[in-house]
Amino acid sequence: MMFEHVLFLSVYLFAIGLYGLITSRNMVRALMCLELILNSVNINLVTFSDIFDSRQLKGNIFSIFIIAVAAAEAAIGLAIVSSIHRNRKSTRINQSNLLNN
Amino acid sequence: MDLPGPTHDILVAFLGSVLLLGGMGVVLLTNPIYSAFSLGLVLVCISLFYISSNSFFVAAAQLLIYVGAINVLIIFAVMFMNGSEYSNDSYFCTVGDGVTSLVCISIFFSLITIISDTSWYGIIWTTRSNQIIEQDLISTAQQIGIHLSTDFYLPFELISIILLVSLIGVITMARQ
Repeated sequence: MMFEHVLFLSVYLFAIGLYGLITSRNMVRALMCLELILNSVNINLVTFSDIFDSRQLKGNIFSIFIIAVAAAEAAIGLAIVSSIHRNRKSTRINQSNLLNN
Repeated sequence: MDLPGPTHDILVAFLGSVLLLGGMGVVLLTNPIYSAFSLGLVLVCISLFYISSNSFFVAAAQLLIYVGAINVLIIFAVMFMNGSEYSNDSYFCTVGDGVTSLVCISIFFSLITIISDTSWYGIIWTTRSNQIIEQDLISTAQQIGIHLSTDFYLPFELISIILLVSLIGVITMARQ
């Protein structure tokens, strides 16, 4: 059944996004992997809304909310990264110890 | 879009293979600009998935917001920070990478076994049986609009306030 294959793809995106989020040393790449995780959640919501709830479409509305929150999150994250880059001339995750000194 | 069976299968297989390669490219490519473009490819393929599962409004929102706003913002941020430090950023494997890959692969296979063991046909049958049989005379976009203005009115307004506050915060943080 093709419905489960779409779920497998979303699980793959979640797993590889989690791996990249933990192991990446660049902050912008960590934000990209966070977008991958949010997209896997969106794929799950839209697929279940199409299969189980094709009259009410509440999964689509929740995925629209998630897209809006992801837009706000990406804007704030990239502003924080550019502010850190302005102060420390680096975007490595392990060098961002601004609270330390 | 209710495509016939083999066309839908071929479409899902093609988009799935592109998603596999694009997801690997986002994480494993060494230059961040290449991984940003790979992320754009993944987002476009996900919006095509939404079109194939009858939800056109979410597909349009995905194309407009993710590809048009977030991915362009990420590419701008990658190009804004100079790329000289990324070139000597040699990707060497540490112990933490191995442990993380082990944990992620175990999460992947456990979720796949859970999805395979669940009997989806029973759940579909129980939800289809007690669903109100009504003719859908209105389109899905109109239905989403009706839900956003009646049931989900308070979360909709809260989302607009969150977007306003976060964008004002971004502007004050970026121009100091």
